[in-house]
Amino acid sequence: MVPAVETPDRAPASTAAPVRRIALIGNPNTGKTTLFNALCGVRAKTSNFPGTTTSMRTGHAEAPGHGALDVLDLPGVYDLEIDAPESRIAATLLEGARGPVPDAVVVIVDACNLARNLVLVGQLLARRVRLVLALNMVDLAERRGLAVNAVHLEARLGVPVVSMVARTGRGMAALREALDRVHLTTPGPGPDGPGTAAGVNQWADAIAAAVSSETASTRAHDRFTERLDGVLTHPVFGLAAFIAIMGTLFWILFALATVPMDLIEATFAEVGTLVERLLPEGPVRDLVAQGIVGGIAGTVVFLPQICLLFFLITLLEDTGYLARAAFVMDRWLSRFGLPGHAFVPLLTAHACALPGIMSTRLIPDLRDRLTTILVAPFMSCSARLPVYVLLTTLLFADRPGLAGLAFAGCYLLGALAALFTAKLFGSTILKGRAKPMILELPSYKTPSLRNALLTARDQGLSFLSTAGTVIVAICIVMWWLSAYPKVDAPPEAARLRAAAEAPALPNAQAAALLAEAAALEVKTAQAGSFAGRIGHTLAPAFEPLGFDWQLTVGVLTSFLAREVFVSTMSVLAAGQAATDVDEGVVAKIRGMTRDDGRPVFTPATAASALVFFVLAMQCLPTLTVTRKETGGLKYAALQLGYMSGLAYVASFLLYQGLRAAGVA
Amino acid sequence: MTPPVTIDALPRPAAAAVPLTTMPVGAVATLHEVTDVASRPVLRSLGLTDDCVLRLCQAGDPCIVQVRATRIGLSSAVARCLYVVPEAGSR
Repeated sequence: MVPAVETPDRAPASTAAPVRRIALIGNPNTGKTTLFNALCGVRAKTSNFPGTTTSMRTGHAEAPGHGALDVLDLPGVYDLEIDAPESRIAATLLEGARGPVPDAVVVIVDACNLARNLVLVGQLLARRVRLVLALNMVDLAERRGLAVNAVHLEARLGVPVVSMVARTGRGMAALREALDRVHLTTPGPGPDGPGTAAGVNQWADAIAAAVSSETASTRAHDRFTERLDGVLTHPVFGLAAFIAIMGTLFWILFALATVPMDLIEATFAEVGTLVERLLPEGPVRDLVAQGIVGGIAGTVVFLPQICLLFFLITLLEDTGYLARAAFVMDRWLSRFGLPGHAFVPLLTAHACALPGIMSTRLIPDLRDRLTTILVAPFMSCSARLPVYVLLTTLLFADRPGLAGLAFAGCYLLGALAALFTAKLFGSTILKGRAKPMILELPSYKTPSLRNALLTARDQGLSFLSTAGTVIVAICIVMWWLSAYPKVDAPPEAARLRAAAEAPALPNAQAAALLAEAAALEVKTAQAGSFAGRIGHTLAPAFEPLGFDWQLTVGVLTSFLAREVFVSTMSVLAAGQAATDVDEGVVAKIRGMTRDDGRPVFTPATAASALVFFVLAMQCLPTLTVTRKETGGLKYAALQLGYMSGLAYVASFLLYQGLRAAGVA
Repeated sequence: MTPPVTIDALPRPAAAAVPLTTMPVGAVATLHEVTDVASRPVLRSLGLTDDCVLRLCQAGDPCIVQVRATRIGLSSAVARCLYVVPEAGSR
């Protein structure tokens, strides 16, 4: 017999009413997510299984003439009995340890791969759950000359079997009908067979042979797949294909995401201006216009990148390519204790660490996933670009070639730091090596656009509802620290304003005086704010890195997001916030002086600051996402402490080394 | 964390069994033993059970085998731990 599993103590949530709660389960790559989307459409949400980092989707399905369903999409599992997180989650859920026992379970079976999929069916039957078998991708099986007799299969298993093509909706009505009546059935006694794992396999083989027109033979060749695999996993051609495919993906990501991101920024800027016009001057207006609107803008602006990335990755995953790409990258990344799967998060982190960390959900092993999450923010994200441009320009004024090399060196330094850290963590706090790759190579398929759109939508909503709310709160706090307490304008500013009002003064000169007065007021306000005061207090700690209090304020305010560094320095230098690094801004920042009159940015200071921004964890939203994805503060705190510590030590060594070598 | 398993520390496979990596591409064989204990559950869940029939589709890294209709990619480290008995006259 298949290992006996006692009937759950808890009865199903409902025995007489129409099915309310159903769980979808199946091997990976069987079209489970497609079926979920076909059932629930947009009435779905993504979250984590309580107490785990494994994501789950729940949805609601309604169709005319059928009972309403609450649908739970379980993680893809091959085997309920092995010691893997997904298997444990699925098994405990079916036993009722994670909420009510489902009224019924739909097991999705790939018609092209019947024997292997039936192993899971056998385990479910042994657990005596009310089961409906969705025999999916029958169209693909038919094209391959493989016919499965659903009637015979239903008779052998004693559970409803529905032939279907979830991608096109074929068989959906029959599935709903089966779900309407399955709650009236009594769970079967389970399949007969030896009580070993191999026994379940033999049982599955026997059933598959009995109901299939042609047993899927190990000897059968799929020449198209074999040739394509030969190219896509080849050490040279596979790498070339990988670079071409991922290059295209990221080009699309960068090119297309910029448009909605710019639109979002412009829209929120307009909203902020409107609020300032409508509300009377005062702290409430500042809070709404700058704190709340600014905070929401700082969160929503990430949405296009996250949605577009998940849309593209889902398309790519649907084709079957990602499994091949994982093997190509595994050759390189495994030397540093990272799995081949890590390539998507690490590449994505070059656009933004947030979607990069969220995409570690592709990595099945927890240790591998945690390592990847911890090192992903070392990759130079797009928010670092203006900082790199500013500091390399300050470092190598009038030598654009060297500035370009330094710019490229920043990317290299970030990537090397990530690999070094992965290796270091692999021998210390996350001991172990990346698991050797064992992956099913799914059939090449045409991707589903609907699937990709729904996944992108789900991931975007998931980001907004979890990390997004925290990020908005953090933005508001950081704004408050930078804006309060309000300090009086300096007398010098009043004197300049009075001088500007002299009747004989030409308009251009008056405007220049007013601008100078405004700059002085902003600089005084910045210095007098909580952030400014903290900068003054902490300046001695950053002095060994060559930073004065102004640079320290820049480091502190950019803790919200790195690009804020440029606007902070431009405010401190000229009294006007600038996000683009043009020649005027660079000239003003280059002209900044310390309290003793020495320049703020010497070559040694600029180099030290550059290294600091490559390595430091200067991004609160990233920490928020790390906390969410790792299920607690521990790894977010480690990420902050380690990256900041590494940045501090590296900048210190560089600055002191340059000073010792005679570079000012 | 499962400690790494060295091949030397494990029981010797039967005399007729050979490492999967020594087989020619296209050859059909029966799986005899997996000496990497840590990989056994995952391999088993993918259908690579004792005495299953497999075909070597691609050698190297990754090594690709086919069991029934399932194509499975194995890193060379895992492939080296699979011992198989080749079918007579198989290629």
